[in-house]
Amino acid sequence: MIPLTYYLACSVALFIIGLYCLIAKRNMVRLLISLEIMISAANINFIAFSAYAAPGSTHPLAHALVILSIAIGGCILAIGLAITLHAYKHYKTLDVRKLKRIRW
Amino acid sequence: MFTFALDALLFFIIITPLVSLLGRKIGFRRFPPIFATVGFMVSLAFLPLLYNQVLNNGDIIVITSELLFMRPIAVCLEIDMLSIFMTAIFLFIGLMTCIYSIRFMEHDTGLVEYYTLLLIAVSGMVGVSFAGDFFTLFIFWEIMCISSYALVAFRKGKWEPVEAGFKYLIMGSAGSITVLYAMSLLYGMTGTLNFAYLSTTLSLMPNNAWLYLALTLIIVGFGVVASIAPFHTWLPDAHAAAPTPISALLSGIVIKAGAYALIRCLLLLFIPENFAWQSVLAIFAIFTMFVGNFMALLQKDIKRLLAFSSVVNMGYIIFALSIRTEQGLTGGLFHIMNHAVIKALLFLCVGSFIYRAETRNLQKLIGIGRKMPVTTALFAIGALAAAGFPGLNGFMSEITIIIAGIDVGWYIPTALMLLNILFSIAYYLLLIHNLIVKKPTINYEGIKESPKSMLAVMVVLATLCVVIGVYPAPFISFANAAAKAALNIQAYIEAVIA
Repeated sequence: MIPLTYYLACSVALFIIGLYCLIAKRNMVRLLISLEIMISAANINFIAFSAYAAPGSTHPLAHALVILSIAIGGCILAIGLAITLHAYKHYKTLDVRKLKRIRW
Repeated sequence: MFTFALDALLFFIIITPLVSLLGRKIGFRRFPPIFATVGFMVSLAFLPLLYNQVLNNGDIIVITSELLFMRPIAVCLEIDMLSIFMTAIFLFIGLMTCIYSIRFMEHDTGLVEYYTLLLIAVSGMVGVSFAGDFFTLFIFWEIMCISSYALVAFRKGKWEPVEAGFKYLIMGSAGSITVLYAMSLLYGMTGTLNFAYLSTTLSLMPNNAWLYLALTLIIVGFGVVASIAPFHTWLPDAHAAAPTPISALLSGIVIKAGAYALIRCLLLLFIPENFAWQSVLAIFAIFTMFVGNFMALLQKDIKRLLAFSSVVNMGYIIFALSIRTEQGLTGGLFHIMNHAVIKALLFLCVGSFIYRAETRNLQKLIGIGRKMPVTTALFAIGALAAAGFPGLNGFMSEITIIIAGIDVGWYIPTALMLLNILFSIAYYLLLIHNLIVKKPTINYEGIKESPKSMLAVMVVLATLCVVIGVYPAPFISFANAAAKAALNIQAYIEAVIA
């Protein structure tokens, strides 16, 4: 059986990749995808922990939560894409650095 | 199912769009505002019932699985005085913004969605304050966040709300995902997400790096919505770009939900004797105050100025949390109530200026007090209350926090907070001077007093400012009961486990 540490390493790596994308990328759709990557990192954590909770069985709480958190990720993506669509209508670009008309 | 107060809101969330659809068929278009207002009123009417139920049941009611072995993994609602206190604020400000929106939003399209989203956002906040485990908290948290993203970007035909909405969406969801990751770590260490079981398990556990990581992620994640200083950048954009009733909602209660989540998690799960979060949080709070004040002094847009002032006030509340004595927390919770009332009043007054004069530029609003005397007088009451003028409500809570800070011997941070209060007086007096004293530079032909329904809401809020300031005793004792409930960890745990 694969040790739990590998799953944790994978999830931490995914979380850091998502965070890096969020900071470094310009494209608005990529920013939304990076949010999804971060949600997947948390979901992998939940599932791995629930699978290793007791030998031979899985812990049910994490599965219920992960299904709902996937749904919530979908909601965030839906609202995000809707806003992106309207932003594209106004700015004619998906580059998030062009979205800086608001000045202090 | 979720107690009457929340059930009523959920019922009206379903019924409002359905009835509005029928209303459109028969040509009557005023159903959505009426139904949303009635929904808030019904929910508010159920609140005293819930209050009595909580009092009769030993200050806490728990709604969870009957089976004891299922409890660590079952969904759990746990309602104590702190939840009731926050719910009262959420529902009251929600009702006020809803009534105000009737006139303010009358020329917009998509009102069915608007009022339904308003109800959804408030019910999410109420659910956050009722939650007894991280699972429920997260679901209601996302309900609140996602509906407020949509509300900020509601006027999608203009560029500004879309830009601010996207910024808010990215930062807000990054924050809530950070909390989700921290939850997964806590789940891995303890095997449960219930606050009571988590609290007992974590207090027995030796400190390790993962726990500190989870603590940091929770502070960062909830700190985004509570607008702690490095993560506050979404707030001025979102507050300025949203429709004004939504600015009042965001500034009055959405960021308070973040403060509530921080209070609940930090006090219950991470005991300060084991985790030294108090001084770190105090440093963040002071930093938040300074950033908010300096930025507020530079603003030319009146809504952005008020938004930065919200950042400052969140600094006071987080500072009160970091003091963590009963008095400090009483001051913090009392300030949550006062700031919600004051900021709702200020934003709604500005909304009236925008409704009549169609500008938010401070230079163009100079001398508008001569055309809209009642609205500007109410604005002046709110501005004086926010500046901490004695005899109004802001003063009472700020002095409580300062006394609590001196009592625990934090002289320098308390002095810095006092300095920030003095700073904020500067720009509030400047606002009053600009709006009332100065002669108008621009010709305001045809600007009238605000409509009656908007004025009524502002009068109620301004009266509350004066009443809390003059006669604070019942409100302080309510806040004190909430603070006692927040600090009484043992009772919270025993209600579930015993």
